[in-house]
Amino acid sequence: MAEFITTYGFLIVSMVFAAMLALSLYLPLMTGQLSLASPGFYALGGYIAAVMSTKVFPPTPQGEIFPLVYLLIEMLVAAVASALLAVLIGIPALRLRGIYLALATIAFVEVVRVLSLNLEITGKAIGIFGIPQPFLNKFEYMWIAAPMLILSTWFVYRLERSRVGRAFAALREDELAATAMGVNPTYNKVLSFTMGAVLAGVVGAVSAHFLNTWNARQGTFDAAILYLAFVIIGGSRTYLGPVLGGLLLTALPEVLRALAGVEFLPAFVAQFLVDGRLIIYGLLIALATIFFPQGLITPTMLKRLARRGT
Amino acid sequence: MQFTLFFQQLVNGLAIGSVYAIFALGYTLIFSILGIINFAHGAVFTLGAYFTYTLIGAKFGFNGLLAQSQLPFGLPFPLAVLGGAALAGLVGVIIERLAFRPLRARGADPLLTLVSSLGVAVALVNFIQYLVGAEAYSYPSSAFGGLPPSVNFGTPESPLIVRTVQIIIFVVSMLILVVLTYLINSTRTGKALRAVAEDATTSSLLGINTDRLIWITFFLSGFVGGIAGTLVGLSVTITGPYFGIAFGLKGLAVIVLGGLGSIPGAVLGGLVIGVAESLVPASAIGYKEAVAFAILFVILLVRPQGLLGRTLIQKV
Repeated sequence: MAEFITTYGFLIVSMVFAAMLALSLYLPLMTGQLSLASPGFYALGGYIAAVMSTKVFPPTPQGEIFPLVYLLIEMLVAAVASALLAVLIGIPALRLRGIYLALATIAFVEVVRVLSLNLEITGKAIGIFGIPQPFLNKFEYMWIAAPMLILSTWFVYRLERSRVGRAFAALREDELAATAMGVNPTYNKVLSFTMGAVLAGVVGAVSAHFLNTWNARQGTFDAAILYLAFVIIGGSRTYLGPVLGGLLLTALPEVLRALAGVEFLPAFVAQFLVDGRLIIYGLLIALATIFFPQGLITPTMLKRLARRGT
Repeated sequence: MQFTLFFQQLVNGLAIGSVYAIFALGYTLIFSILGIINFAHGAVFTLGAYFTYTLIGAKFGFNGLLAQSQLPFGLPFPLAVLGGAALAGLVGVIIERLAFRPLRARGADPLLTLVSSLGVAVALVNFIQYLVGAEAYSYPSSAFGGLPPSVNFGTPESPLIVRTVQIIIFVVSMLILVVLTYLINSTRTGKALRAVAEDATTSSLLGINTDRLIWITFFLSGFVGGIAGTLVGLSVTITGPYFGIAFGLKGLAVIVLGGLGSIPGAVLGGLVIGVAESLVPASAIGYKEAVAFAILFVILLVRPQGLLGRTLIQKV
C-alpha cells in the first residue's frame, strides 16, 4: 500500500484536480454555454498562489511546512479574483453563442498565456519556482483535494435540483422559451460562467503548490480541450459525467503504461503501449465520441439505477 | 519607424499573412459545408511539412521509429511540396471517414465532432512524434536551387532587403488563392460545393452527391493546409510535432475576423493579422503572439459575424 501511494499518489491527486476542472467547464455548459475559459482562470489562480506564497507571505523557516492557513487565504483570493474577472469578461462575451463563445474564450486563455510569458511578476517564460509545500508528500494533498472534490460535486448536485439550476437547464434546452417564462438569460449565464471560473481558480491555487512550479505552460488551449474531452466523454448531461471523465481520462495514459507491464504481451505491443500511449489516448477520445455520443453516464442511466436501488 | 524598416516589416507581414490566409481557407471550406470546425487541421498542416521533408529524401534524426532513415530517392522541391500536400489531403479524407462521417450519419451534436476531431489531432501529433521524434527539422538550404537567400529591392546605399523565402511564400500563397477561387467560382464542382454550403438537404434533393463533395472539400482543405505547413517550415523550421498547434489557433482567429465560412473573409483576415503582427514594435515583441487573439476577442464582441461574414439570424 505504501509503495502504491508513493508511485501513484501524484496521479491520484491529479485525477481529483482533473475531475474538478471538468466540473468547472460543466458549470457554464449547464446553461448551454460552451466556454473553454477554465484554463485561463486555473492559470490565474495558480499565479496568485505562487506570487503570494513566494513574495507576499513571510518565508517558511527551514524544516517547517507552509502553514495551511496561508493556503486557504490564497484560495480565497484566487476565488475572488477569478469571480471578478469572470463577471468582467462574462457580461460582454456571453452574448455570443456556440462556437463563437468557445473561440472568444480560447482567445482569453491565449491572452492570459502571452501576458504571463511577458510580465515581470509572473516570472516571464521561466515561471515561478520553489513554491512552498504545505504537505509532506504529494499524496497528502488529498487532505485538501478530496474535500474540495466532494464539496464541489455535492454543490453541483444540489444546484441541479435548485431553482437556479432549473433556470440553467431551461436556458440550455431553449433560451427563447426560457426567457419568455421569465428566466433572465444574462444573469444566469454570467452566474454559471462565474461559478466555473471560481472553481478553476481555486483548483489552480492548490495546483501551484502541488506542482511546486508554475509557468505559462499551465492553462493552455490544449488543457481547455482536454477538460472538454473529460466532460463530453464522461457525459455532459449530469454532474457525475465530468467527474468520472476527469478521473478516468487522467488515469488512462498511466493505465496504458501499467498494462505494458503485463506478462505474455509481445515485446512490441508492450513497447507501443508505453511510447504510443498518447496515440491510443487520442484515438480512444475519437472513438468514445462516436460510440458513446451521450457520454459514459447519462441521466437516463442514473434514473434506471436509482429505480433499481429502491 | 524608418520607411525601409516599415516596408520590410510590411512585406514580412504580407508573406506570413498570405500563409495564414491559405491555412485558414482549409477551416473555412469545411466550415462552410459542414458548419463545424475541424480541429485536426493544425495536425494536417504539420503532417504536410513532414511529408515534404520526407519526399525531398532528407534524413530523419536519432529518435523515433524511423530514426536515421530516408527515402531511397529524393524529389525536386516543388514536386515534393505538391506530393506532400496531396498526402496531407489524403489524410484529411481519412480523418473525414474516421472522425466526421460516423457522427454525421447519426446527426450528432456539432460539439461531438469537435471533440472527435481533437482526438484525431492528439493521435496524429503523437504519431508523428512516435515515428520521427520531437526534434526540429529544417529543409536543406539547397531547396530553392540556385536562388540567392535574399533580394535587394533598394539601391546599394539604402538597401531594401527581402528574404527570397518570403517572396516564394507570398507568390505561392497567392497562386493557391487564385486557383482555389477559380475552382470554387467557375467549375461545376465548385458550384455544387457552394450549393451544398447554402443548403445541404436541398442540394442533395437536386441530385448533388453530398458525400462526394464532402470528401473533395476535406481533400482540398488538407491540400492547402499541407502547403501552408511546408511554407512555414521553409520560412522558419519545422519545430516538432506540435508545430501546427499554435498555427491552428491563429487560423481560428483569422476565420472569425474574416467571417466564418467566407472565403474572401479568410484571405482578408489572414492578411490583416499577418500585417498587424509584423507591425508590433521590437520592444513589445513578446506580445506579438497575443495580437491575433486580442483582435479575435474584440471582433467577437463588436462584430461577431466578422468583417465579411453574413449577419447571423437567430431562427426560432
